Amino acid sequence: MRDGEISFPYPLLYLRELRCRRMKKICRAGILVAVVIVFAGLVCMQYRDQNPQRYEGQFFDCFDTVTMITGYADSQQDFSEKLELLQAKLVYYHQLYDIYHTYDGVNNLKTINDNAGVEAVKVDAEIFDLLKFGKEMYDKTEGRLHIAYGSVLSLWHEYREEGLRNPLQAKLPPQAELEARAAHIDIEKVILDEQSSTVYLADAQMSLDVGSIGKGYAVQKLAAYAREIGLKHALISVGGNVCAVGERADGTPWRVGIENPTLDSEKPYLAAVGLSDGCLVTSGDYQRYYEVDGERYCHIIDPETNMPPQYFASVSVQAEDSGVADALSTSLFNMEYAQGVSLVDNMEGVEAMWVGKDGEIRYSSGFKVYEEK
Amino acid sequence: MVKSVIPAGLKSMKKNDLKLLAVLLGLALAAFVGMSLYARFTTKEPQAVVLLDGKERGRYSLSEETVVEIRQEDGSYNILQIRDGKAEITEASCPDKICVNHRPVRGQGESLVCLPNRLVVEIENGEDLGIDAGTR
Repeated sequence: MRDGEISFPYPLLYLRELRCRRMKKICRAGILVAVVIVFAGLVCMQYRDQNPQRYEGQFFDCFDTVTMITGYADSQQDFSEKLELLQAKLVYYHQLYDIYHTYDGVNNLKTINDNAGVEAVKVDAEIFDLLKFGKEMYDKTEGRLHIAYGSVLSLWHEYREEGLRNPLQAKLPPQAELEARAAHIDIEKVILDEQSSTVYLADAQMSLDVGSIGKGYAVQKLAAYAREIGLKHALISVGGNVCAVGERADGTPWRVGIENPTLDSEKPYLAAVGLSDGCLVTSGDYQRYYEVDGERYCHIIDPETNMPPQYFASVSVQAEDSGVADALSTSLFNMEYAQGVSLVDNMEGVEAMWVGKDGEIRYSSGFKVYEEK
Repeated sequence: MVKSVIPAGLKSMKKNDLKLLAVLLGLALAAFVGMSLYARFTTKEPQAVVLLDGKERGRYSLSEETVVEIRQEDGSYNILQIRDGKAEITEASCPDKICVNHRPVRGQGESLVCLPNRLVVEIENGEDLGIDAGTR
């Protein structure tokens, strides 16, 4: 049957033919729609696989370490732009919490230290809040987390740097000098005035050092900023201080490995933790240290003894807040397991894993190792 | 709705319609297979990627044994060795030697870092250790 050919004069036949033609039209349209749907479906499947893509980026110059960021973005350019924004933000915090350098137009921790015993320094809310948080953590950890411990830490810092430059001449700070310095670590003399947003150190020889919380505190702010600029799924690691923004794009948690402190072991990670919007921070003695007469002295100093603690090889803390995780990992590194585990079990949403010098692993009661489902 | 239309249509179709359908389905299938194959062949072998200050300076296959000296203008250097499918820094000018003390790496997402020299060696397409990042 051809178009336009009408079977006349048989009205019934004509009607049937008309119906048949209409059916055919519908059929053709239907097939076309079906093919388009199948085609579109296939393209969509490919598109979903590839978009958004996973990218990784890194930068230096913040908190004396390398920052690595993993995230999902529409394109490399999109990700690079976001990475730049994040870097600028972290540089800002780095400058605020820096105790070694002065920056134009910025009152930072060095400004406060330089004015110890002289005058109160007006500071940004980001410094004020950090110091307030530091004092809170001092109370919670019975002084194991000590932001006014700068006088002792700087002495260790000098001896460590010198010892790394000249390993054969590496020395320990003399006990007498450590004790003299430790006379200037009274946290009550860190005077915070909320009204005027000023900080005053009421002892000319004291100094602040936020090495144990500043980075964690900044990472938490950075994670919030990442959400603000549209990164819904990201993993931020500032020198192994890891914070998750959301989960992975496939909806499963980010998997964060706890590095094996035994560096000559074949096994890179001791355990993995699943993070969705949480943080994991490790304090250890196996990365930053120097050796004196074959003995290892790490960069963490226990305010009780003014010496590097000898309890563990590493302590990892998981918490919702990166500042809390950072503060606690240092504190737990500075105390015995029994005391540490009771501190952790009394805090909500905080878990920890301890690795002993002999490799023995212990966990807090709610610590969950990530398992593939 | 679509399902109920197709079988009825197939019976009363013209040959050309069938041809068109076959061609379109064939095209869709070819596109799908092509894309999948492309994705498979662009996934490369494991490599160690050397980055200085965040910028790529070289990439080396983990399956070929090699020793690379990464020397910078100021005289600082790191020596990267690839052996048994793993990458490690065997020597460096930095004072802390954190990079030298680090175990050899081979897994996806693992890295060697030398802060003083602003050097990072990253593993790409490495063995899947099931880890997105490490804490230390």
